[in-house]
Amino acid sequence: MKAVVTKDLGWKYSGRKRFAIEHVDLEIEENTFVSIVGPNEHGKTTLVSCIKGLIPSSFHGVWRGSVEIFGQDVRKLSAQRLAQEIGFVFADPEAQFTSMTVEEELVFGLENIGLPLGEVKERLDWVSQITMIGDLLDKSPYEISGGQKQRVAIASVLAMRPRIIILDEPTSMLDPLGKDFIFEILTNIKKETEMTVIVVEHNIEQIAPLSDVMILMYEGSIAKSGPPEVFFENSDFLIEHGIQPPQATAFIDNVRKLGDYNGPLPISLEASIPVLANILDHRLGGKG
Amino acid sequence: MSTAASENVWALEEGEVRKPGIAHIVALALFTGIGIVVGTFGSLAIPIGFVSAFWPGQAIQAVGSIWYGMWGGIAAFVFPLISNAMSGSAPLPVSMAYIPANFVQGMAAGWVFRQYKLHPALTSARDWWGFTLVGIIAANAFGALWGTSVLRAFGLITPAAHLVAWAGWFIGNSVASWVLGVLLLKFISPLVIKTKAFCKGYWA
Amino acid sequence: MAQTMELSAAKPPLRKMRRTLLGTVPVQSPIYELHPATRLFTLLFLGVVSLFIDLPEINILLIIAIFIYLRWAKVDISGLKIYLPLTVTVAIFMFTVSIAFPGADPNFHSFRFLGITFYLEPLYWTFASYWRLMAMLFGTIQYFSTNRERETLVAVRSLKVPFVITYFLSLALRSAGMFLEDMRTIREAERARGLDETSMSLRDRAKLYAMYMIPLFTLAIRRTDEISNALYARGYTPSGKLENEKQRSDYILTQYQFRRIDTILIAAMVITFVLVGVLRIGFGVFAVTQSPLRIFLLSLF
Repeated sequence: MKAVVTKDLGWKYSGRKRFAIEHVDLEIEENTFVSIVGPNEHGKTTLVSCIKGLIPSSFHGVWRGSVEIFGQDVRKLSAQRLAQEIGFVFADPEAQFTSMTVEEELVFGLENIGLPLGEVKERLDWVSQITMIGDLLDKSPYEISGGQKQRVAIASVLAMRPRIIILDEPTSMLDPLGKDFIFEILTNIKKETEMTVIVVEHNIEQIAPLSDVMILMYEGSIAKSGPPEVFFENSDFLIEHGIQPPQATAFIDNVRKLGDYNGPLPISLEASIPVLANILDHRLGGKG
Repeated sequence: MSTAASENVWALEEGEVRKPGIAHIVALALFTGIGIVVGTFGSLAIPIGFVSAFWPGQAIQAVGSIWYGMWGGIAAFVFPLISNAMSGSAPLPVSMAYIPANFVQGMAAGWVFRQYKLHPALTSARDWWGFTLVGIIAANAFGALWGTSVLRAFGLITPAAHLVAWAGWFIGNSVASWVLGVLLLKFISPLVIKTKAFCKGYWA
Repeated sequence: MAQTMELSAAKPPLRKMRRTLLGTVPVQSPIYELHPATRLFTLLFLGVVSLFIDLPEINILLIIAIFIYLRWAKVDISGLKIYLPLTVTVAIFMFTVSIAFPGADPNFHSFRFLGITFYLEPLYWTFASYWRLMAMLFGTIQYFSTNRERETLVAVRSLKVPFVITYFLSLALRSAGMFLEDMRTIREAERARGLDETSMSLRDRAKLYAMYMIPLFTLAIRRTDEISNALYARGYTPSGKLENEKQRSDYILTQYQFRRIDTILIAAMVITFVLVGVLRIGFGVFAVTQSPLRIFLLSLF
């Protein structure tokens, strides 16, 4: 089933001359991991805000086209229904805190959708365990570290067990250790849940191996999309559009241009090692 | 800026629908929170107790009502209940008795800007006069009169001291609030006007 | 999983104190035996009851009782020092006004001291009013010293206050904290760039604080949009009503137990309050004229 379908989607913020996104046609299958990449100010956040329904409900502007979530028009869904269908993690975790203790933060959304108290408790325990924030429950979300804040932000959305989860640059404000931790959580979400995950991310190196589909947003439109092996072909195009492919992928792509390899591109360092070993075997074997 | 340009701030565009929503409740809460801080610090900075003097909280009340209409008006009487308690400048019953004056201290400015289409960023002499005469002088004259009458009713000042207390209250608050109010309106209004929470009418 | 292990091993030390709205209270404080609603009633009772009591003797006793209550709750009373200047300046102001503008009444008892004529009745009225004011103030301050925002919210939610009001209250208290935090950040940034506030005149300092307001408000306005987006994203509706017209669930309330002692204390406060009000309004009890100290002082003339 299609989780998200956009048709000729466009949005212009009030007071701006240009459309932030225009003519966006997109289909995302259920239970896939999609990453949206591209330079700043090229429409990534606007696109995911339209999918979540934040646009047009929370912004003034001009809307064109349509967005459907599991076959339903987002503009016709109430905030409560949307919260159950789609979770949204903002780039700045502090921007999404709505409560004064971590515990209240985690249960806030669950209370809003009227879950029975027993289930609220069950989900609170589950999500605190998988994001390892059990010892923070009594604290203010403002008193904890940046990495912990983002874990709380993700946990508060995960607790609602939405069918789609959108993360808008979840690692942009974190140190390397904090970033690694978030990618570990993303890996767990992919492995252990059936959620459709949409991540806006600049860290290509770490997001690419997780992705089923990658989308490049450029000047408000989709410039390129596809599975990572296909997406990273023609790395010159990506570099021209502000995207640096993973180093291992770029290396093998260069080797491929030399004519020594014509298989699929590896996306991670781990995946590139056997490819490189094969190439070397082939070369050394040929020469011997 | 011309009057026509000023009117544009308050006029609805063709087809524009503005309804009270979450953004207004959040704006109300944030303004109340800011008022609590400014009000508490204002009272603690010059601790002459229950007589208000050099209290910049009135600027928050006036500016809040200009930007957020009735939501600012509500914040105007809610935050002093808390800031007075935290600073120790008035007990709960006295703060409750101040409610009408606090509401007027805020809404006077909100009313005059909407009624006479004044620009919140004080772009013309008309805007300056409107803010100064109604938003500050008239609002504080009334607020000080009400406040000192409350103190007299509670037996906290003698009848003979009423006029002196009123004058100190009125002049002190007017000066502090005018300075802070002008700064906020000049520099922050252009930003606020673009936000969803800005109220062209009284509620949205 | 090595990083995970490392992260979970680096737990912060256990906090022994809880930050309240005005201070800190130990986690083990006996006050946490009381339901937040009972604690809120102490604010309503102690903050208002003195309104009916002119007798300074009783109001002084009430203040002593408040301090005993704070000691029992293990509150760090030294935090209340910030109110000391206020209590002194209020007294100076009230007595100055009373001495300078006593009002003319030939029946007043007067005496001269340091060349100034003092009138006993207005002076004693000021004395009584001062202690009444202090009793109400400390009745209010005790609440803010012993309770967190969360407990205030639990209390008002327990009293079935509509969700939109309780959420507004919570957000207002939180935004006060955020505003202070932002202010601290801006001040630190200015100090890091060599600003020395101590060498500035009072006027320059006032100007500096006024200028702080611009970035602080800009941040706050930006937050208005961010928080409303976050609320929308998590299914918040101001009414707290669900699509099926049911009310949202309230998990946090289940974390607090309403015990028998709470019922007894609330009932005692309500009955005492009503009784004091009736005695004062209906029978003139607690009027300043009944003050034993005043009667004694008048007997000296």
